[in-house]
Amino acid sequence: MNSVNPIRESELMMTRRHLFGKTALGLGTAAMAGLIGSELNAGRPGPSGPSGHGGLAGLPHHQPKAKSVIYLFMSGGPSHIDLWDYKPKLNDLFGEQLPAEIRDGQRVTGMTANQKSGFPLAPSRYKFTKQDNNADGLWTSELLPHTATVAKELCVVYSTFTEAINHDPAITYIQTGAQTPGRPSLGAWLSYGLGTANENLPHYVVMHARTNHPEQSLFNRLWGPGFLSSDHQGILMRSQGDPVLFLSNPTGVSATDRRAQLDALAAINQQQAQQFGDPEVLSRIKQHEMAYRMQSSVPELVDFSDETAATLEMYGEDVKTPGTFAASCLTARRLAQRGVRNIQIFHRGWDAHGNLAGEHGSQAKDIDQATAALIKDLKQQGMLDETLVVWGGEFGRTPYCQGNLARENYGRDHHPRCFTTWMAGGGVKPGITYGRTDDYGYNIADENGNPLHPQPNKDSWTPGTMHIHDLNATILHLMGIDHTKLTYRYQGRDFRLTDVHGHVLTDILT
Amino acid sequence: MKAVTPVIASLVLLIGTQGIHAEVDFARDVLPILSNKCFVCHGPDSNDADMLRLDTEALATVDRGGYRAIDQQKPKKSAALERLLSKDAPMPPEDAEKQLTEDERELLVAWIRQGGRYAKHWAFVAPVKSKPVSKKNAGRDEVIDAFIADRFKESGASFNREAEKHVLARRVALVLTGLPPELDVLDEYLADDSDQAYENLVERLLANSRYGEHQARYWLDAVRYGDTHGLHLDNRRGIYPYRDWVVGAMNENLPFDEFITWQLAGDLLPEPSLEQLVATGFVRMNPSTAEGGAIPAEFQAKNNFDRTETLGTVLLGMTLTCSRCHTHKYDPITQAEYYQLLAFFNSTAESAMDGNSYTYAPVVNAPKDQAAWSQWKQFEKEKDRVVAEAAKLIGEAVKLDDAQLQVWKDASVDARFKLVLDPASAFAQAEIHQQASKLQMEIDASAKGYTTTLVAKELGTPRETKILHRGEYDQPQGDALEPDVLSIMGSFPEDVPRNRLGLAAWLTADDHPVMSRVIVNRIWARVFGDPLVRTPEDFGVQGEQPTHPELLDWLAVDFRENGWDLKAMLRLMVHSRTFKQSSAWRESVEDPENRLFARGPSYRLDAEVLRDIGLWASGLLSPHMGGEGVKPYQPDGMWKALAHPGSNTKQYVRDKGELLYRRSLYVYWKRTSPHPMMTLFDAPDRESSCVQRQRTNTALQSLGLLNETQRIEMSRVLAERLLEQASEDSERVDLLFRLLTSRSASETESGAILNLIRSMKQRYGTQVDDAKSLLAIGEAEQNNSLDPAEHAAWTQAVVAVLASDPAILLY
Repeated sequence: MNSVNPIRESELMMTRRHLFGKTALGLGTAAMAGLIGSELNAGRPGPSGPSGHGGLAGLPHHQPKAKSVIYLFMSGGPSHIDLWDYKPKLNDLFGEQLPAEIRDGQRVTGMTANQKSGFPLAPSRYKFTKQDNNADGLWTSELLPHTATVAKELCVVYSTFTEAINHDPAITYIQTGAQTPGRPSLGAWLSYGLGTANENLPHYVVMHARTNHPEQSLFNRLWGPGFLSSDHQGILMRSQGDPVLFLSNPTGVSATDRRAQLDALAAINQQQAQQFGDPEVLSRIKQHEMAYRMQSSVPELVDFSDETAATLEMYGEDVKTPGTFAASCLTARRLAQRGVRNIQIFHRGWDAHGNLAGEHGSQAKDIDQATAALIKDLKQQGMLDETLVVWGGEFGRTPYCQGNLARENYGRDHHPRCFTTWMAGGGVKPGITYGRTDDYGYNIADENGNPLHPQPNKDSWTPGTMHIHDLNATILHLMGIDHTKLTYRYQGRDFRLTDVHGHVLTDILT
Repeated sequence: MKAVTPVIASLVLLIGTQGIHAEVDFARDVLPILSNKCFVCHGPDSNDADMLRLDTEALATVDRGGYRAIDQQKPKKSAALERLLSKDAPMPPEDAEKQLTEDERELLVAWIRQGGRYAKHWAFVAPVKSKPVSKKNAGRDEVIDAFIADRFKESGASFNREAEKHVLARRVALVLTGLPPELDVLDEYLADDSDQAYENLVERLLANSRYGEHQARYWLDAVRYGDTHGLHLDNRRGIYPYRDWVVGAMNENLPFDEFITWQLAGDLLPEPSLEQLVATGFVRMNPSTAEGGAIPAEFQAKNNFDRTETLGTVLLGMTLTCSRCHTHKYDPITQAEYYQLLAFFNSTAESAMDGNSYTYAPVVNAPKDQAAWSQWKQFEKEKDRVVAEAAKLIGEAVKLDDAQLQVWKDASVDARFKLVLDPASAFAQAEIHQQASKLQMEIDASAKGYTTTLVAKELGTPRETKILHRGEYDQPQGDALEPDVLSIMGSFPEDVPRNRLGLAAWLTADDHPVMSRVIVNRIWARVFGDPLVRTPEDFGVQGEQPTHPELLDWLAVDFRENGWDLKAMLRLMVHSRTFKQSSAWRESVEDPENRLFARGPSYRLDAEVLRDIGLWASGLLSPHMGGEGVKPYQPDGMWKALAHPGSNTKQYVRDKGELLYRRSLYVYWKRTSPHPMMTLFDAPDRESSCVQRQRTNTALQSLGLLNETQRIEMSRVLAERLLEQASEDSERVDLLFRLLTSRSASETESGAILNLIRSMKQRYGTQVDDAKSLLAIGEAEQNNSLDPAEHAAWTQAVVAVLASDPAILLY
């Protein structure tokens, strides 16, 4: 098969299920419950394709390097200049204007395009130190002391870039491959392609980690199914109320009560199946049973009492508070351990337009220890090799200041031309850096630090760079998916996450 | 791979080892292959001027210096034939992403050998009514069944038996009104053995105002109606009068051509009425932003892309998105045409950024709910009456000079009414003036309660529209374009203005090939469960072919010929034998997707319907129609977890009292985070158009059905109803099933439920506190005179039955 045709696939699945459905007719509930195996796994196909959790035939396209991906998404645009991309020369240029030839026609957001002070350079106030890695070393910021200790595991890409310059389009772009709403998210594509390995837990989990700066919005579309079947949407795992929506029985209803209720329900549904012969009905009986099992598997998942004191200590005090980044990271590891392939943690508050020192300090504190702990923990558990950890945001921040400029505090506007993303584990070369930027942290540069002319673009890959489509292509690749082949026909076009772009960064793969 | 679609399946039969001998149908069989496998290089968007083009007959058959790719005179000499069969230099090339299957290759070969004649893609040829083969003289009410039967002949299938009467009653009520039949209506129907019984039932349902609410919902999905702006802050947006207008238009059965025209161009009609202005909310429905750094020109372009492409999906059944950046690879739509179509929308008066404002101008004041709309309509009638009365007085009690008379004659109803109202006019002394004044006072008083709604308005001077290179807002190219329509679907009509009004005239013209088909296809889907074209969002070359092309065309023409009358079309469909069939699967018909329509519809009901049924059965459902979106129970913190601190939709403030029980159509639609019980059951986000919802089946849905607060609340209130209205447990089970399934419970069902009741009564009898906790869920008042254990036991049973397939499926 050259490419997967979702319509055909769904028809085949339906046919299999139909036949199966027929043979199951007339059996008693108990016998049937045993018979409903993975064949009946899938839901009814959507308007133009299959749904369900089985994944597509023919996938993975190749042996995956990673079984799970844990994506730590720093929403708002973390400052590469203050966190990762060490730019000592800026120290001598404090308050000077960004040279026009460096800006080189880059469009600027409406927030700084007309600012009176122009584009005054703001060197980072943070101290950088060099850590050993497996190559020439890694400069790390004092904002991330813990993360610095796992330098040997990280593959830090300085040359990530995008075209979008504002949050909504940029975050929609990096998560769905298009700047405007309507496309499936990265996670939905993974779910569509690979299905799930643990039916008792949600197949694609999204967490929103606590922050002191809940700025910039998130949108359902970032983990949404777009035009894919809606059971591929990300499932929110929440710290408030039920970890999964509607998980708990109502007050006054015990698990035994629910069991009795489900038995009555199954008897009624079973009769419906006998009368109408629609295999969908049988499939729903199975979903009710899965839901019942989820009611115990999810609480067990978020109960950390079986973790060692050492592990908890590694993640830090925050891990005891549900909803923190630390608790989310540990939950992520526990999910990956249980076969959940697809986990995203969103941490908001990186949009430092005016008070970078105050905000990034607090933000970094939220994530630093737990991020390092996640890497170490995965390694200790022997899972890092098969778990891809990704860290990054929707764009970077400008080397020039927005608003008041002082040595100790400043603001930075959005910057699409270069920003830092890192990956670890799951088939990525550990302890290396990739790509570089110019002395201003403004342009992607050649190996000598000279800005590339023209700057790279999404149409053809430039070695040493990573467009956001390249990032997504690489994530899919590590999960065993050829990004050019995972397609879905909608409105006559075979859509894919990376549109007609994307290049797998084989340079950074093991 | 084994092919299953009927068209391909029928082809497989034609293909044997000796090749294909039967006549190949270009539009049906060949064009889809050319489109999917060849047009990427040899299609409309070929960049290389020397590249062979296969998308038009003229270009495919042109003399290319001594040879032709397709030689219609000497087919065997066709170069394409040689390349198709070549081992050394095959087409498609070996490294092409899309390869031909052997069947496809044989088909192309056969087509060229037969002369390589072209025909237009079916959807671009205006539909005509043809006669069913099996019943040439079929009357209008027999045509659907006759066309369906035609396909049975090929497949050996047959109509299923008719559904039982109660099944049919529930089905038709759900299809038309989104609710099961009221018990009195049901009983009357079941007791009526006359031929008129079903017809009477259908007419009652069509006349029920719940009909308009249900039908409106499909349209609101298509136009992506939401109560917030959608992007960035996702702030509140005042546009619900548009939603209420749609409901009213459905109930009044506004002809569909007018329904479309008002929405696209109500503001451009002569002296538009308030309704016609409110309808233009359609044009304003695109998600919008006011993000701090956003560049207005960028969003002027993006807003227009969204409108143009939504028009494509909703009314043309076609994606236009490809043509934003380059000429369409598959369908014959050029990039210039895309921007010409976009030009119709490029001159509306609103700013590109919404200012995060509820009253994102232009807006008008409009009635705030359905009752206020009714009153407005009453006032309009009164005005007509006053003006008519006043007219009678002219020349008698009221003397007008010639000039005044001319003014009167030229004036609209509104202008005449103003004259009658004018204390300085000749009417001032007549009694009719008093009547007008009184009416005006009432109108003014009523208008104080109006709310704002976003509308379209045309700029005095139109904006220039140019092609945007690769769709980049900052790369306009070439000369300014005049607004124009897609040439593949006819030409711009004569004698209409070249603005949105003209656009509407083109869409609703008799010879428009697509719009009517697209609309009836979706009407069919909501009645029969699945559409005739299984890709309702794509009627283009890459889309699926209709399962019943002649039927689709007949319906499309009939819809137009009969005054675009939606109720009439629905009436025709629900009276068909096809609709009335049992939805039971049969061993003898191997058709899991029901492409033959040899059984009745069967599917899980939509999110809104699931909630409405529970509210209705419990008696909680509010009769109130229209108004600002309501906020029923929702788990805490869902909005806050996502929202910008500056957003005015970051706090979900739950409503209280009657607002909790409005019909689900009225649930507040925050586009970046719709109500979780909606998204759980496949409601779209309304950020982009949805013309067909998915129907998934997940474990998380089970949790929602069994645990969500409102479902528990409606269950305990329904349990209360059962306990109050019936004295024996068996009668209660019966009432429950009659409400939810329109029939009595079977032995199996009542056995299972009574068994559950017994064990639950015992359990709650010993643990009354648990019973009380369960019964405390939800705000609705409790009947404290009931025994808590019994009430809780029944609540548990109702939760189960409300979640059961006989209650949540249409069948």
